[in-house]
Amino acid sequence: MESLLKSFNKRDFISVVANRQKRFAAADGSVPAGTDGSRELARALHPKAQYVKVAAVTERAPDVKSFTLVPDPSRGTTALAWFGAGKYLTVFVTINGMPVTRAYSISSSPKASLEGKYELTIKLVDGGLVSRYILDNWQVGTEVTVSAPEGNFEYQPLRDAKNVIGLAGGSGITPFLSMAQAIADGDEDFELTLLYGSRNKDNILFFDELAALEKACPKFRVVHVLSDKDAKAGKGFEKGFLTAELIQKYAPADAPYSVFLCGPQQMYEFVDKELAKLDLERKFIRHEMFGEFHNPASQPDYPAGVPETVKITVTQAGEKKTVEGSSNDSVLQILEKNGVAAPARCRSGECGFCHSLLISGKIYTPPHMDYRRMADLQFGFIHPCCSFPLTDLEIDVPPAK
Amino acid sequence: MNNNYDVIVIGAGNGGLAAAAYCAKAGLKTLLLEKHNLPGGSASSFVRGRFEFEPSLHELFGVGLPDNPTDYAKMFMELGANVDWRSHNSTYRLIVPAEADDPEGFVGENGVRVKVDASMPVGFEAFSRKLDSLVPGSYEPAMKVFRLSTLMYEAFDMLTSGKINPVKLLTKYGDVFKMAGHTVKECLDELGMPEKAQGIFTAYWCYMGAPPMRFDMLYYMSMMHGYVERGASMPHLRSHEMSCAMDKAIRDNGGEIRYNSEVTKVLMKDGKPCGVVINGSTEVYGRYFICNVHPGFALPDLFAPGEVPEDANKKVNGRPIAASLVTVYLGMNRTKEQLGFHDYSIFIAPTSDSDRQFHLSQGKMGADFVIINCMNEAIPDCSPEGTSILFLTGICYGDVMQGVKPQDYKKLKTKIADEMITRCEQTLGLTIKPYIEEIEIGLPPTFSRYLNTPNGTPYGYQLDLWDSMLPRTIQYEKDQPFDNFYFCGASQERGDGYGCAYYSGQKAAGLVIKQFTEGK
Repeated sequence: MESLLKSFNKRDFISVVANRQKRFAAADGSVPAGTDGSRELARALHPKAQYVKVAAVTERAPDVKSFTLVPDPSRGTTALAWFGAGKYLTVFVTINGMPVTRAYSISSSPKASLEGKYELTIKLVDGGLVSRYILDNWQVGTEVTVSAPEGNFEYQPLRDAKNVIGLAGGSGITPFLSMAQAIADGDEDFELTLLYGSRNKDNILFFDELAALEKACPKFRVVHVLSDKDAKAGKGFEKGFLTAELIQKYAPADAPYSVFLCGPQQMYEFVDKELAKLDLERKFIRHEMFGEFHNPASQPDYPAGVPETVKITVTQAGEKKTVEGSSNDSVLQILEKNGVAAPARCRSGECGFCHSLLISGKIYTPPHMDYRRMADLQFGFIHPCCSFPLTDLEIDVPPAK
Repeated sequence: MNNNYDVIVIGAGNGGLAAAAYCAKAGLKTLLLEKHNLPGGSASSFVRGRFEFEPSLHELFGVGLPDNPTDYAKMFMELGANVDWRSHNSTYRLIVPAEADDPEGFVGENGVRVKVDASMPVGFEAFSRKLDSLVPGSYEPAMKVFRLSTLMYEAFDMLTSGKINPVKLLTKYGDVFKMAGHTVKECLDELGMPEKAQGIFTAYWCYMGAPPMRFDMLYYMSMMHGYVERGASMPHLRSHEMSCAMDKAIRDNGGEIRYNSEVTKVLMKDGKPCGVVINGSTEVYGRYFICNVHPGFALPDLFAPGEVPEDANKKVNGRPIAASLVTVYLGMNRTKEQLGFHDYSIFIAPTSDSDRQFHLSQGKMGADFVIINCMNEAIPDCSPEGTSILFLTGICYGDVMQGVKPQDYKKLKTKIADEMITRCEQTLGLTIKPYIEEIEIGLPPTFSRYLNTPNGTPYGYQLDLWDSMLPRTIQYEKDQPFDNFYFCGASQERGDGYGCAYYSGQKAAGLVIKQFTEGK
């Protein structure tokens, strides 16, 4: 074939290779810098772990305490990671040799993190092992290890309406408190109307703080909704529950609004039915996860004939061992109860941090918690935090790290 | 537990996965270590609400059709990795918006004034005819280019068959060497392609991040030929499906994979690697190492000063870092028809001059150049009924995050995403913003976090004429820091792209297997 590139010489390429060698020979031979702005920022926002100390404990109500956490330079943390209001921290604790984790929303402002302060507000959960442990044991000076800020329960201006109705129940107030402070500080820009459900006035958490924020920030408003029949309500209070009528009363009549929910599982069951009456677009309703799921047998699609106890053969970093547990517990809980530290963050199925391989056996995952990727279903990967064993299992779990 | 392996693969990106899969298949005792909890690096997926997003793959050429699988589909089959491929039969649409007073401007789709609106079909003949209809006089030059690239693939076949005939190589395939020695721009000029047609013809520059004035014709055409010849493919269940299939193939062949297992140090003995430290505590030992970490971070992070030959440092410091990306993932609560999308891949460019596009992306993140993909065009059932997925990509070069404070980052992300979406809305004459149900935004720090590369580049080193595929291939073995330690991934021979990374893993594995079987 006649050449199509007549004026070029095929030997030109030889000079390309020679040029490359010349360039390398002239280059700097010292160790590469190994850093740049993107890496620094990624590391600042997503540290592998944060080593902190309890600097203050505040009693908020019976069985509810706030813990102020500050960096612990002696263990390598000199600054706290900044976060978007609404995020949570996963707390790592070891109770009687059992390594466990819990996720708690940050109740302090993003701005406070720059001053070296996070606040977690923890309420005793009925029969709650970890909340009991923390409330009983954490005191000023206690060394604590937490994750980087995690989660997706945040305001996003390109997605959410400018007006947000926040629906909080009990300790579900924590991410909203952070959001209200972020609005007051100028870190977030939206109108937040918070409908905060409590049993009675004495159960309200952060009453004074919320009132002060409302006074200082015209974009934030709080309405306390008291459910006890004989609760004394006054100006700024509503009686009853978080109903569709109540939401409509406080939502803008002529503009779109988003609804953000944070509270216990029972609150979601009630409020979701109320929200259905409002016929909002799905994009305008956002739930924070409520944490661990219990009692899988209560689910309508849970199969019959599941044995009470199961054996799990687990391989972790090449080492194999077999443990036993109750089929009422998640795979993650069974591992933890047997002293096996497993990776975990949200414990609600969503974050996928516990992603593990199911080699054999069957598990049950409540459908509303099944956030596995499609290919995971095909290739047998599970999220142990919301996988309940139906048979003996064989699994490969990454180290907790 | 036996802590000795024939080969330790550091990093389960596409290169590391392929390397481990080939080593395991060859019967080597293989350990693959990955710092994240998932395989794939770029090849992954993430779930937000009712959407599962593709983080990086735009399209893959060289897969072929189900009844006629080609390169990468064959590679997966050979390894026993099953992937459900979906093909789509288009290349790209290039749109260059026009200012109101631009004499070249005309009113295009949805009443928007544009300078260029080119929807380019699959097939050499059809592509060239379409180009000619947009810029008269470009049919002949375009067909000549495809004749050259066909010749080039014949030469590749000869080179990879092992039956190399040097006389034939230099006589029959002389033009192939010329393509490797000259830039895209030089070759298109030589073939007489009109300037404006060159802009349309080189629109794929963004997939390699290398502009026509600096990039060699050989490598550009190896990609372009693939897309125009047969169109492109995607895995059905996002690229996480490909990574899971590789994971399974490695385990099925007896390889061991550990996630959440970061290599924090390479152990040395007699001036050569002999093992690695995992998560700062566990030591494992190996004879050979394949490293999927970008050398720009691997050398400073994994070795103590003085352990790496000076020559290896020079090969890091002497090369510019390739492009990084800005990505916006949108889960839409409307169908593609409701939104008005009918193209899979649209390139929106500020100018039809690809070199100018490259220069505008230096040190800057912004909305000048945006690729918008509508995933449902390629995979109709990729999102729930009544919804669709859009995926926006911008390109940037340099340390664009220098000086950005953590507390300003979230606002910066939103600002850049807003600009990119606005740019798409204005150029396409469509409405996007009110229908966003889920959004996620990735900037260079996002890629830095998940890929662990300088400037968060997914593309390795800048592919320039002097450091392009052929010179890198010729010097691949010399470029490695030790004779038992091979790099793979986008930083190696073929640069970025899934296929290139898989190939790099296969290549590194091949060299290790050869040395192993020769008893070295």
